Amino acid sequence: MTIYNVDSKGTACPGPITDLIRAYRKASNGDIIILQATDPGVVPDSKAWCGMTKNELVDTKENNGEYEVTIKVTAKK
Amino acid sequence: MIKIAMIGGGAGGLITTSKLSAELSEEIKQEKVSITIFDRKETQEFQPGYLETAFRGTKPEKLKRPVDKLISKGVKIVHANCASIDLDNHQIITEKNQEKHDFDYVIVSTGCSPDYSQIPGLREANMDFYTDAEVSSRIFSTLQTIKSGRIVVGIAGLPYKCPPSPNEAAFMADEYLRRHDMRKNVDITFITPYTRIYTAEPINEVIEPLYSERDIESRTVFNTDSVDPAKKVITSLEGDTVKYDYLFLTPPHKPAAFLKGTDFADDEGWVKVDKRDLHITDHDYAFAIGDTNNIPTSKAGVEAHLEGIVVANNLAMNVTGEGTKHFFTGRTQCSMETGFHHATFVVGTYDRPVEKIKPTVTNYAEKKVMEEIYWASLHGHYEWLFKYHFKRDYFAESPS
Repeated sequence: MTIYNVDSKGTACPGPITDLIRAYRKASNGDIIILQATDPGVVPDSKAWCGMTKNELVDTKENNGEYEVTIKVTAKK
Repeated sequence: MIKIAMIGGGAGGLITTSKLSAELSEEIKQEKVSITIFDRKETQEFQPGYLETAFRGTKPEKLKRPVDKLISKGVKIVHANCASIDLDNHQIITEKNQEKHDFDYVIVSTGCSPDYSQIPGLREANMDFYTDAEVSSRIFSTLQTIKSGRIVVGIAGLPYKCPPSPNEAAFMADEYLRRHDMRKNVDITFITPYTRIYTAEPINEVIEPLYSERDIESRTVFNTDSVDPAKKVITSLEGDTVKYDYLFLTPPHKPAAFLKGTDFADDEGWVKVDKRDLHITDHDYAFAIGDTNNIPTSKAGVEAHLEGIVVANNLAMNVTGEGTKHFFTGRTQCSMETGFHHATFVVGTYDRPVEKIKPTVTNYAEKKVMEEIYWASLHGHYEWLFKYHFKRDYFAESPS
């Protein structure tokens, strides 16, 4: 299992979701993507992306305006 | 003598050196400053015109001008590409004869280009409107032969330049087929890895209804994995498939090869810069502008332009000791043609989200004006107009 730490802090939509998709391309099933961002849209966007792609949204955290979304890659063929 | 090296002679390189040569004209005359562009290419192409070539049949030669005629007074050019940069030792080595050139300041503006290696089968199956004008013209040749079937357009991978262009391809293909009374026989499908047809919600709200009106099918969160040119099938990372008869996808893009593996670029080769003043991390005499850097904005000509203005101002200020420092605002101004002489714009900054702008004929006319003034703008002739148009977004006087 590989953990991909993706730093999207300071970027606004579509920065975080673009970075997530780019990391997802490199990842395999079972890998973890930890997406960090300051754009509050990262949480609903990631939830929607996980729902639509059937990847697993493991956790979301918010601390002083910084968001961390943890996703387990499960949907690749 | 202070030597300024510009790596890349595209729109960003030409506009930046144009402003530099104007700001430092006296110093250049007195041979205190030299400005040199390094770029192998002899011809500059108007890249936003590739869509017109692909979907309206504009001749490729109409999009071309000799680079030597676009260089501003006082600027030299070495027709050789950069093979490597040694930032610590202030030196570049060119591909041609491995020549070494020293610099005091360097600006990297080498753009980006399609990277077909990321998606097996895509190169064999696809025709794009990014590689150059000639390649774009193949789409129009094909379009004229289409009687029935399915055209697939959209985003095959990230990042790519000119964010609205895949959507424009859908609208322009639709317009062509309707004007030739062929639309009822031809399906158009748009694919994207994003969750929306256009990733920024305000623009998505504008164009999603148009997709319905024009009967353009969309497949969101489709992460293209591979293309089978024999079976004419695109397969996603999740195993979903889309069939096509004609494929005009937007490939993922890559930076210039010499940047990959350097300590000033990320693992894919995009140059790491400060998003406000564009200096390369840890090197205040080195900058990267336009598509080649890693800042969180669109890869589009307007960014290269406005970043170049900021860098040229600040560099001239360093040389002369006069003026005030400027900062890039992150302003985007990407036109999106929606067909039938209408267009919208994707407008935003680092600090303001993308605006909701409805497609109008006026916006389309504004896009056409830009096409008319493009070549002169490379010489800096219309900076007064850009400054007026962008107002407070032309540059910022403080970093936040």
